[in-house]
Amino acid sequence: MKRLRSKYTKGEEVKFISHLDLLRVIQRALRRADIKVAFSQGFNPHPRISFGPALMVGATTEGDYMDVDVEEDISPHEFKERMNEVLPSGIKIVEVFEVDVRDSLSSRIKGADYLVEVFLKKEVEGLEEAVKRFMAKDTIEIEKETKKGKKLVDLKSYLEEFYLIDMNGERAKFYVKMKLGEGSPNPFHLLKAFNEYIGDAFDLEYYKIHRKNMFLE
Amino acid sequence: MDIKEKVDSLLMKVSKPTRYTGGELNSVLKNPKEVKVRFAFAFPDVYEVGMSHLGMRILYHLLNKREDVYCERVFAPWVDMEALMRQNKIPLFTLETKTPLSEFDFVGFTLQYELSYTNVINMLNLANIPILSREREGLPFVIAGGPCAYNPAPLSEVIDFFVMGEGEEVIHEIIDAYIEWKERGGEREEFLEAVSQIQGVYVPKYYIEEYDKDGKIKEIRPIKKGIPERVKKRIVKDFENVYHPEEQIVPFMDIVHDRIMLEIFRGCTRGCRFCQAGMIYRPLREKSKEKILELADKLVKSTGYEEISLASLSTFDYSQIEDLIKELISRYQEKGIGVSIPSSRVDAVSINLLKEIQKVRKTGLTLAPEAGTQRLRDVINKGITEEDILEATASAFEAGWNNIKLYFMIGLPTETMEDVEGIVDLAYKIVDNYKRVKGNIKNLRVTVSTSTFVPKPFTPFQWVAQDSVKRIIEKQNFLKERLKSKVLKYNWHNPYMSFLEATISRGDRRVGKAIIKAWEKGCKFDGWDDYFDHEKWEKAFKETGVNPHFYANREWEIDEVLPWDVVDVGVTKKFLEREYKKALEGRITHDCRYYCTGCGVKDYDEGVICFEAPKK
Repeated sequence: MKRLRSKYTKGEEVKFISHLDLLRVIQRALRRADIKVAFSQGFNPHPRISFGPALMVGATTEGDYMDVDVEEDISPHEFKERMNEVLPSGIKIVEVFEVDVRDSLSSRIKGADYLVEVFLKKEVEGLEEAVKRFMAKDTIEIEKETKKGKKLVDLKSYLEEFYLIDMNGERAKFYVKMKLGEGSPNPFHLLKAFNEYIGDAFDLEYYKIHRKNMFLE
Repeated sequence: MDIKEKVDSLLMKVSKPTRYTGGELNSVLKNPKEVKVRFAFAFPDVYEVGMSHLGMRILYHLLNKREDVYCERVFAPWVDMEALMRQNKIPLFTLETKTPLSEFDFVGFTLQYELSYTNVINMLNLANIPILSREREGLPFVIAGGPCAYNPAPLSEVIDFFVMGEGEEVIHEIIDAYIEWKERGGEREEFLEAVSQIQGVYVPKYYIEEYDKDGKIKEIRPIKKGIPERVKKRIVKDFENVYHPEEQIVPFMDIVHDRIMLEIFRGCTRGCRFCQAGMIYRPLREKSKEKILELADKLVKSTGYEEISLASLSTFDYSQIEDLIKELISRYQEKGIGVSIPSSRVDAVSINLLKEIQKVRKTGLTLAPEAGTQRLRDVINKGITEEDILEATASAFEAGWNNIKLYFMIGLPTETMEDVEGIVDLAYKIVDNYKRVKGNIKNLRVTVSTSTFVPKPFTPFQWVAQDSVKRIIEKQNFLKERLKSKVLKYNWHNPYMSFLEATISRGDRRVGKAIIKAWEKGCKFDGWDDYFDHEKWEKAFKETGVNPHFYANREWEIDEVLPWDVVDVGVTKKFLEREYKKALEGRITHDCRYYCTGCGVKDYDEGVICFEAPKK
């Protein structure tokens, strides 16, 4: 058995499919590609596939990771080629490398960066300055929904970079870099908190989040 | 925001957004500018129901194989999406190219269930297409097929024309006639005239339905020269080689039947007297085992699915079922691909096969005795005895099953409370059976479900009165009281829904007015318990002067003109009448797989051949 780590993209066409849907897509693609996947032991064996932190439904990515344990001697290059032949359009593997079978993806992933686009409800003056003032705060407390109810989280401790890239009429584009881990907030939490800070200038009915990279340790 | 962003912004707010996005594996992308005909295949229910339907999958790929046609899909948007679409003035669009339906040449509905008719109307309205056929100048032709189309009367003001019978057989002729008409630049009327000459096509506006003083139908007749008096359904003659898709769309979201659907035969020879499918899909036609294996191989490769469902009306009746299942298991077990059988007649032999299937993938066990006593099972011609049932369940329990589902019908013709009690007795006998096999009943779960008998067109029971809602509720209450125990669970069907189903199923053109009225009052998704609104329907019937009991709860005369008499379905009325009489005498008719019982379909059309199994 060997573990192949793949970096993949998820584009506009498939941005509404959930994490669970994606798992099924990969399982079925592996079967179409006729790649033999390793199964877990136990009463209800399941294929050994694992993903990094789930991407929000509605977001796109060009740098997410997954691990697949294979039961055959297939090279990373061949794995990539065979999978890309059968994956639905919008999902593509861009890079594959072998890692140790004890190397767990979730403990490797430290952070990610994003491009975030929002629509403005009203004109905002000094948006760039506002971002800077926001980033200069010591703590940014937000309420985050968890399975056990609402919880207070310090967003600032996760936030590494946040700046305005571009403002063009009704659209504003930001760069965001955040730590990723169990229960970490996502860029939408940041958008909500920042929108509150500047007095509700964003139309958060719609926004675009694109994950550029996941950072592995 | 551009249009795509606008739609995306709505999708971020709705449940299950992938119902609307398309782009699934094996869905077809074409340039609409490069085809001659754009066809929107419309399913009047949500995505996960519609995508589970084999007929839609067949016709989708069949049409798209033609270079000059582009077939796209559209489903009924769920209520959350519909509200947002109406708010934002977004017309109903197809999944593939997000094109509004009004830009298509055809909008083709499949009618699988009477309680989806308000969704048909709602979808047209959401697409800005007038709901009445006569107001549709310059817009797509709205057509319909499927089992419910065999009684075209209720939707005859809505649908431009109906297609009776098997789509594979007739759809190309319709498309060709359309291309010819379009290139000629003909009037709308001219196309309807042209298709009315194609066998299987029923154009409602060329017929009139007249009534007697007592409200019964006096006559249905063509009102135009050259229009056939009866429309003959189309039958696929070479079922072995008829088109079956070698690929199948693989949805992203979990749908109702999320697996390969491989049709192994069409038609059914059991002759259950309540069953419409068993009559209208005749004759029985099988695919060879070799053909099925070849298709299975292609479908596994093109979909990556983990399960193959052997689709038919009664899968264990397939002449080589044992060999087929064993072969499939030996081929695919290694890869973790399982086989599944849609609920089918189960006996001791089939339990052994299910045991094999279980080794790859766990399945539930469903038995359908349909009636609680032997007397009533003979009336409905369910060729199964209590012994069969007890034997089958005993071997199932021995093989390790602990959960078992039992399907029954209540309100069957001649049913007495004794028959209803028979359901309880049978359930408890099965519990005892388990106890005998296992020693205790600790792990046992028996789910008893009853549906309510609905008289359906083209069945021996098409003349029978449905039980009143009051009577059905009494019977359900009787069962609720008696099927109470730790191991028994009882499910029942909303009796008002079954009443509506009977009304529409035997409805004539007048019932159509009530359907439109009900939709105007906000009825949709009538087949969904949460949305079905009996009071609105009651008001709609009242306001349109339609008495639903006249249709549902009346015993019809044998010589009465039926709303669907205008259709020739292959099985003769004589045969249905004979079967009805035998039912009342409690006499059974044997399975016609071995000896013909003379339903008439054999002599129906040139080239129609019934599959006959080697004589036992």
